[in-house]
Amino acid sequence: MVLKKVFGGNTEQKVIDSIKKHMQILYSASECFKNGLQELNKDQMYCVANLEREGDSVRREIISTIYEGAFLPFLRTNICRFVEIVDEAFDVLKDAASEFENLGPKLDQEIREDCIQIADINQQMCDMLIIAFDTLFDKGDLREKTLAIRIFEKKVDDMKFDLIGRLRNKEVKNFWEGKTLSDFISYLTHISDVIEDASDYLHIINLSMR
Amino acid sequence: MKVDEIMTKKLEIISSDASIYDAIERMIDKRIRSLLVKPRDEQDVNGVITVRDIVYKALGKNLDLNKTKVSEIMSKPVVFIDKGTDVEHAINLMTKFNITRVFVSEGREIVGIISLLDVMSSALIRRAREGHGA
Repeated sequence: MVLKKVFGGNTEQKVIDSIKKHMQILYSASECFKNGLQELNKDQMYCVANLEREGDSVRREIISTIYEGAFLPFLRTNICRFVEIVDEAFDVLKDAASEFENLGPKLDQEIREDCIQIADINQQMCDMLIIAFDTLFDKGDLREKTLAIRIFEKKVDDMKFDLIGRLRNKEVKNFWEGKTLSDFISYLTHISDVIEDASDYLHIINLSMR
Repeated sequence: MKVDEIMTKKLEIISSDASIYDAIERMIDKRIRSLLVKPRDEQDVNGVITVRDIVYKALGKNLDLNKTKVSEIMSKPVVFIDKGTDVEHAINLMTKFNITRVFVSEGREIVGIISLLDVMSSALIRRAREGHGA
């Protein structure tokens, strides 16, 4: 009943649908990124930037609808913040894709396999974030979804630690090659942190609805 | 679910002639709790040295960590299963032998490791996906 009061209106439903669309686009972008990495195809990475722009336009639509009067005022800030964090994940993914375009075939096989695995975990995290968001409305257990996201994040964190250790021993030819590789790994491994932050905000939204 | 879906492919390998101190350093640097020990020759098989071995068999008995070799406290042969085996079988082995990790093989080659934490994490992720098309 409370949920119906909080989320029941047409404008509220419009926002909810748009947020789901926003996250679906993020999932598609992370899938596209992973495929580009698997095929070492930097041209395929352009879809990440295209999807990021599409995500931007959905985000603007969501924020405008919220400030036109969707949701009770005390919920608006948290929902907007959640949407902005998801948008930040788009930005970091786009930055990683952009660094990959500079890096291309210079990414050696051993590092690439780990990067593909991280990209796959990022994609699974996007999927889990969508599931967690749905849980807000279907009375499921949000706690177990956010725990799954934390488990994924921990995996990426461990892999990042290992990757950085190996990168320190890797010989680079010049400053820019080293910087590009380092930035690429930083962005790639930061996406999971941002998705974890977004899932934390879902928890806050859930609490504020009680 | 099969073990190769959740196993860790990164294996840290150490020589059986290395000192226990070398093994401790490697475990701390890599933030892991076990190392696969290389066979001495083609007739030999892999061994494993774990944090438990180091604490119970070396530190607990005041052995000299620099002079004692990994081969003196390692466990051999290792418990391993084929990568296509169900995770439930890995859990049964862990229970039966009271161990927290099982190596994963492909043919005669060891290609990964599966730990209690891997089993628990994958079970929790599967649980979170239940009812959402997974």
